[in-house]
Amino acid sequence: MVEEWRLLDTGVHDAFYNMALDEAVATARSENLVPNTVRFFRWGPSAVSIGYFQSMEEEVDTAACAERGVNYVRRITGGGAVYHDRDGELTYSMMISEGHRLVSRDIQKAYQTLCSGLTHGLRLLGIPVEFKPINDIIVGGKKISGNAQTRRRGVVHQHGTVLREVDPHLMFTLLKVPSEKIRDKLIKAVEERVTSINDHLGRKVGFEELKGALKEGFEETFKVKLVLGQPIDFEKSLAAKLMAEKYASKEWNFRR
Amino acid sequence: MGKATYKVQGGKLIKVQLTERNGRIEGIRITGDFFLHPEEFIEDVEEMLLDQPLEESVLADSIRNLMEEKGATLLGALPGDLAKCILMAGGKGG
Repeated sequence: MVEEWRLLDTGVHDAFYNMALDEAVATARSENLVPNTVRFFRWGPSAVSIGYFQSMEEEVDTAACAERGVNYVRRITGGGAVYHDRDGELTYSMMISEGHRLVSRDIQKAYQTLCSGLTHGLRLLGIPVEFKPINDIIVGGKKISGNAQTRRRGVVHQHGTVLREVDPHLMFTLLKVPSEKIRDKLIKAVEERVTSINDHLGRKVGFEELKGALKEGFEETFKVKLVLGQPIDFEKSLAAKLMAEKYASKEWNFRR
Repeated sequence: MGKATYKVQGGKLIKVQLTERNGRIEGIRITGDFFLHPEEFIEDVEEMLLDQPLEESVLADSIRNLMEEKGATLLGALPGDLAKCILMAGGKGG
């Protein structure tokens, strides 16, 4: 009997709800109310998320975001500022009990193991990716996925991006840059060091195809079966609470 | 108020904002795209650093010791990198 995990496919929601639901699922997992879970989701409106240790004011041009109707939110995970385009990105998260055979106490090792499901899925799509420590997945030396992990209450909570399309000009309109000259340099750097699924394969890969490949990648690598489920009531009410009291609040987003 | 940014080779970016008085840390904020587990530990570090002298090896040791004590893990930087950036923000390093 193959080990079963829950698969959540929560579709397109705003940044605050997405982060709130992620935390709610991790909490439900920590209380053993739900099994280990893999979640797929997208960001609508498009949004910028920053790492736990970053300063919102330093990293994000909040006026430029407001002009374009782009949200901005602080994550509970470390790492950098990320632009999540509504159509350009699929985000995944996984909430796994820390005692699970896949989870190493060594955080760097755990990144490698957990990302291996993703690398397998992307290879199934025909992209010869590799894991690059600390937390990147690259192809041909260019980054195609970034990942971030936190551990709370006995649960490993990792989430990450899978780039379907990338627009460096838009990215650096929304992220703060020291000057116009630096902006051009940064745009050029991204063009050289970041790639996307559509770019690499030279065709538009649909979200369903992408999710299918990643699901298969997780299942084969982790030796689990992902069974499609729904958030439970506990998760839905906790997400609503976290969204209102934390992720949508100025206090949280501008805390550092 | 002093500010500094330090890119760890093969690692992440550290930023420090600092006020100093008589060669000691009066106020400090550490930001960046590194990883620290548990995340709340950053506040313990900043609190511990208050009134510490702006001396690189002293700061590196204090941070390292506190991390060991609390079983914290830093990824993308070493305690010495944090200390270096703090000194840079104090106008003494680099």
